[in-house]
Amino acid sequence: MSIAPPNTTERDDTSACDNFVYDTIVIGSGPAGQKAAIQASKAGNRVAIIEKSRDLGGSCVHRGTIPSKTLRENALRVKNMRMNAAMSNFKLAEDIELNTLIDRLDEVLKAHDRYMRKQIERCNVTVIHGRAKFQSNTEIEVVNVKGQVTRFQTKYFIIATGSSPRAPDNIPIDHESLFDSDSLLSMMYLPNSLTVLGGGVIASEYASIFQALDVKVTMIDKYPQPLGFLDQDLTKKFIHSFEKMGGTWMGNRTVVSAHWNGFDEVTTVCEDGTEVKSEKLLCAAGRFANVKDLSIENAGLEISDRGLISVDENLRTKVPNIYAAGDVIGPPSLASASMEQGRRASCNALNIPVGKAHNHIPSGIYSIPELSSVGLSESQAREKFGDILVGISHFEEIARGQISGIQDGMLKIVCDAQGMKILGVMIVGEGATELIHIGQMALIADSNVDIFIESIFNFPTLAEAYRVAALDIVEQRPADDSSY
Amino acid sequence: MTDNDLYSLIGSKLRDKIKQKQLEVPMLPEIASKVIRLTQDTETDSSQLAKLIQGDQTLAGHVMRVANSAAFSPNCSMISLQQATTRLGMKVIAEIALGASVNSTLFDTPGFEKHISYELNFSVAAGLWAKEVARACRKNVEAAFLGGLLHDIGKPVAIQAALDIAKNHDLKLEDRHILTIEKKYQRAIGAHVVKEWGMPKPVCMVVTYFDMPHEAHSSQNQTLTVVAGERLASHFLCEEREGNACTTTEELLNTPVFAALNLYQDEILELLEREDQVKASMEALSA
Repeated sequence: MSIAPPNTTERDDTSACDNFVYDTIVIGSGPAGQKAAIQASKAGNRVAIIEKSRDLGGSCVHRGTIPSKTLRENALRVKNMRMNAAMSNFKLAEDIELNTLIDRLDEVLKAHDRYMRKQIERCNVTVIHGRAKFQSNTEIEVVNVKGQVTRFQTKYFIIATGSSPRAPDNIPIDHESLFDSDSLLSMMYLPNSLTVLGGGVIASEYASIFQALDVKVTMIDKYPQPLGFLDQDLTKKFIHSFEKMGGTWMGNRTVVSAHWNGFDEVTTVCEDGTEVKSEKLLCAAGRFANVKDLSIENAGLEISDRGLISVDENLRTKVPNIYAAGDVIGPPSLASASMEQGRRASCNALNIPVGKAHNHIPSGIYSIPELSSVGLSESQAREKFGDILVGISHFEEIARGQISGIQDGMLKIVCDAQGMKILGVMIVGEGATELIHIGQMALIADSNVDIFIESIFNFPTLAEAYRVAALDIVEQRPADDSSY
Repeated sequence: MTDNDLYSLIGSKLRDKIKQKQLEVPMLPEIASKVIRLTQDTETDSSQLAKLIQGDQTLAGHVMRVANSAAFSPNCSMISLQQATTRLGMKVIAEIALGASVNSTLFDTPGFEKHISYELNFSVAAGLWAKEVARACRKNVEAAFLGGLLHDIGKPVAIQAALDIAKNHDLKLEDRHILTIEKKYQRAIGAHVVKEWGMPKPVCMVVTYFDMPHEAHSSQNQTLTVVAGERLASHFLCEEREGNACTTTEELLNTPVFAALNLYQDEILELLEREDQVKASMEALSA
């Protein structure tokens, strides 16, 4: 293959020789890549982003976060209309096209793309469309979609190539009957039934969203509870809500095979002999880092045992001028965390202070109902500190919860043994992903739990749950510490 | 009458027919319509489908042949229609029914039977390749086959209409005239046909915007997928005509539609490796 001029760049700046040389090259334009590029550019670097896809934003924008949340909005509408059956007598059309349910997706994506491109343009970041392959720790080759090759040099690399759904050997994903999370939303029609393999964030989100749309969903996972990183009382609420909508949770089951049974069903076979039949199947059995095409060994890097790129606390790989951020370095695999990692990777590379290193990154699960947490969970806190105090508030005890008909909602505050220092907040229930930020701010400000009692919130709002949970803690304080 | 006069006259008659909804759209055999309706009904079960197919000997025989072909049943043989419908699945049955129904006997085009037979066979290949492209892109596999199968359905209808007009107006048309008219009007006619046949919206969009996929709005990806399927089919199939040759691998690699789908050259080459599977499915479907 011959070396062609750098016409892979989206900007028309192909005349100057120094087009091949950048200060920082970011590989991947998802949440981590974007923020890394913008931060480096703001620091005065000449920056390029290499993106394999035609569109910016990565899986987060085009295959995951945004499309699934668009579907979720409509699923919530459907669920609410059903709850108000007396008013609307609502029933979803049987052969409804999935496109109808993500009707606004095109507009949402276009608006997002427009915003991103403007921001990237404003920051003078060059976007290079093609597949990146390391030549050394300072040189990279880009093959564009037409097969033309260009080489670029840089002082710093930030790898932010994201992740893709893992396809286990025993699940023959054909994107027609057996889907992964990238292809699920390309189904033409809403199926009658769906088997969801997995109990992680993606599995829980899609399972509850499709169940809210009245698809008969069966979730199968090898663990006893879904979302194992959360406390059991929260996941129990999630399961209860999921089953109340008509879904089936099958924990402690190992799937040995799944296959299109020849008719209109996928048959999933578990180790204990259980067979589950459904029209479609979603395999959400984890994700793997996108490093296959990068030839990272040419840069002196290697893949860890877990298939990830290893970094230190500064997001630096073992090659000093190469950093990595986002899903490619592993959990928490949250867009919010990836953005911050991207920004910090650039700051660290360029010796810019990152600011106070807040480790209180909330996690948000956009299932129905939502779940969210920040700081330590109850079990983590017990493991770390032994004695702790836990305050709980149920949404049905809150006026706003009653008004909105929110059931299965709960807010939990975890405090130190004195009932003062907040260690973590966990919420399950609609609005959890927004509500969590109150707890996050209290954690970041190092406030004690009294702040929730002394502050005045709007009434009626779910924020009142903070006050109720905080009072629950105060009541448990050692006698001389209780001031309310 | 000069060629231009001839094209102008026939073109104006064709446009009038489309506009006034007088274009003779071949009836999709009732059995195919029923199968498609049944397979789109979420309440249908295999026994209903088997019962329907049993009522049409030709289709029943065809389904049994396909079910027993190496492509669909490599490890066992089917002995009953119920077993076959269960084995193949609703969507495949719909595809077989439509594939079996859309054949040259649908059209009254004396002298062009071989040409139309080639075109319909090519469309089956385009449909199967479109499924492979969709799989590679992880998008809309379900709708790809139908889009490919029907993307050129306007061609035989255009030929039939041109022959009718020539007959009614006592015009003498040569083959080259017919082929020019076919090329010029097939897209508009195809869009009309799939609408009349009540095909799903994504399929109608593919047929309508096949020549300008970037204008297909929400169906743009779907249309690009079928266009790519058609290009891959053209690599393996070409009509025996003077100066006609299959698309070469190099031409294929440089076809813009693959770049528009963000398929890299190694991914296109990987797709070509699916040749045996696609051929086996084609043989099965045209058995």
